[in-house]
Amino acid sequence: MKLFSSYIKEMKIAARGFYFYIEIIFAVILLVILLVAVKEESISKDAEYLYNDIPSEVMTYLIEKDINEGKARIVEPTEFEMKPVTFEITNQETGEVTLYEFEEEKIITVETVERLDPETGKLTRTAYITDNEEDMIRLSYLEGQIGATTTMSADGEFSYKYYLQGYETERLVDLLYILHNESGEVLTTAMDSQVVRTIGTEQLLNNRENLLPMFIVFTGSLMGFFIVMAYIFLDKGEGVIKAFAVTPSAVWKYLISKIGVIMTTTLISSLVITIPVMGTSINYLLFLVFLIVTTFASSSLGLLVASFFDDMVKAFGIMYGFMIALMIPAFSFYIPSFDPVWLRFFPTYPMLQGYKEILLSNGDTGYVLIYSLVFLVGGLVLFALANLKFKKTLTL
Amino acid sequence: MISVKNLSHIYSNNDKLAINDISFEITKGETFGFLGPSGAGKSTTQGILTGLLKLQKGDVQVAGYDMNKVDNKRFNKIGVSFEQSNVYSKLTAKENLEFYSKLFDVPTRDPEELIKLVGLEGKENDRAGSFSKGMKHRLTFARSMINNPELWFLDEPTTGLDPTIAATIKNIINEQKAKGVTTFLTTHNMYIADELCDRVAFIIDGHIKLIDTPKNLKMQYGKKLVDIEYVDGNEVKKETLKLIDDKDKKRMYEIINNYTIQTMHSKEATLEEIFIQVTGRGLI
Repeated sequence: MKLFSSYIKEMKIAARGFYFYIEIIFAVILLVILLVAVKEESISKDAEYLYNDIPSEVMTYLIEKDINEGKARIVEPTEFEMKPVTFEITNQETGEVTLYEFEEEKIITVETVERLDPETGKLTRTAYITDNEEDMIRLSYLEGQIGATTTMSADGEFSYKYYLQGYETERLVDLLYILHNESGEVLTTAMDSQVVRTIGTEQLLNNRENLLPMFIVFTGSLMGFFIVMAYIFLDKGEGVIKAFAVTPSAVWKYLISKIGVIMTTTLISSLVITIPVMGTSINYLLFLVFLIVTTFASSSLGLLVASFFDDMVKAFGIMYGFMIALMIPAFSFYIPSFDPVWLRFFPTYPMLQGYKEILLSNGDTGYVLIYSLVFLVGGLVLFALANLKFKKTLTL
Repeated sequence: MISVKNLSHIYSNNDKLAINDISFEITKGETFGFLGPSGAGKSTTQGILTGLLKLQKGDVQVAGYDMNKVDNKRFNKIGVSFEQSNVYSKLTAKENLEFYSKLFDVPTRDPEELIKLVGLEGKENDRAGSFSKGMKHRLTFARSMINNPELWFLDEPTTGLDPTIAATIKNIINEQKAKGVTTFLTTHNMYIADELCDRVAFIIDGHIKLIDTPKNLKMQYGKKLVDIEYVDGNEVKKETLKLIDDKDKKRMYEIINNYTIQTMHSKEATLEEIFIQVTGRGLI
């Protein structure tokens, strides 16, 4: 009853302040961006890395044909500096994993062809054609873009191997395939022998869906971290924590009621973004479990940080530092080639991966559940520390 | 109701004891004034007695609870009115009191009745954020009575209030006293202490200098004086005479018998004067 009263009181206070609406308005803005500005597929102006294992006469013929039809133009060759890198590629059909280790830095110059819209003449994407398959795979990984190998059999049939980053859809693969072929006959033949290999994760999300994990983590967990601190500092400014401390109600109830408000706003804001994009295609129970535990953990971290400071101004430096640090894993999420081991210890790293697994049609539920437990335990530890600190600092 | 034995307290950021081996007892129904200037140790003592500060050294019993043991249930018997108003500015006056009433395990008072009692009738549904400093102070004061406390901690209860409202607050404190409520009054206002307290303690630099009733203190330390203005020829003269001094008594009779008296006022020493006399320090 006391906890419920505290929660209701906190909700009233939150609803009469602007922090409550910041998160929801931010979520609506992100949703509009997702639905209006982000296309599900994004092949235009993308780069692709190609290795053509076909006779040079055929290659020249195909490119010249495209040039004559206004579909392509050859531009100055491009130089790439490829750093040492190690990664694995999984063959989606066989499950076979191949390890690639490149220990030396290498500089290569590759032929560059710009693909054009024949009607408007506008650049749609740029193709970089390498001399060998290894360079193409390495570039594709390092640049985080699609790679492809084209081969031609003795009887003149083309076949293709695509190297993807993991977030592209099957439809995009088909589109890419069509872009490389003219004849329906060849298309069919080629489709039969098509091999798709994936760099990074094996499952696929479209561009819009792929942005969701970051948006949910930022509107939910990071905003929760920030806003719970703001609520605490508002209360510290008014001195009401002391008034609460001289009632029979425990301080932890006061703190948990703050987290309750954050959870409410986070649930609203996250569902505002997720439902219109994902519809009914995801496991919402799993989604809610993960959302609640990650919000609990990040809010508890916010409480703990807030317990060390008297006001927002004094806490600003450390708060800003935390927020920047927690945002770093987003780079790794979208640039698979940037994935140092130390980054995996940042809580937002498994948060992003967890949401991605939830959004995937057959994602790794085990991963989500394990990290739900980790965030729950971590959140409880942080909360216990925050509670202890608040009890110690309630001085007159 | 309160028993304090050899209480000492030190803050981590200070080498000096904020409270240095103080002892006192407060009986049920007593109004006890804890008087001293800023930094004397008043708020630290109240912090320990209310449990907001951890007891470091000494034996302290409050409302039957040993302050070495943490038990939040004791707050059912205790009310605390802080010097700095601390109410939720985004909640109305009524919502503030309603919320706190739900945090206690004992029957609580009607929020509207309390609001009326402190002269805020008509403001029940106004947000506390729109209140003046004095109104917030009254709301904080009203909140401290929400659980019908047996033991009441009041920190500067009339500070910043206009004389009419301050009189209302003093009346409420006296009414609570009549009901048997024990009050621990922390203040540097000696007039309030003189009016309300059964006993007062003078605290300075963490030490209690004395504890006694205001009447005894005045008798012990005060000198009864009379100010007389009289007409001598064409001139108005003024003299201050001690009523306990035989020579001054004779002089007073002489003036009364030989001159026209214009004004004559008896004068008692104030608690503030006694405080200065005892501690050698002022109250500010």
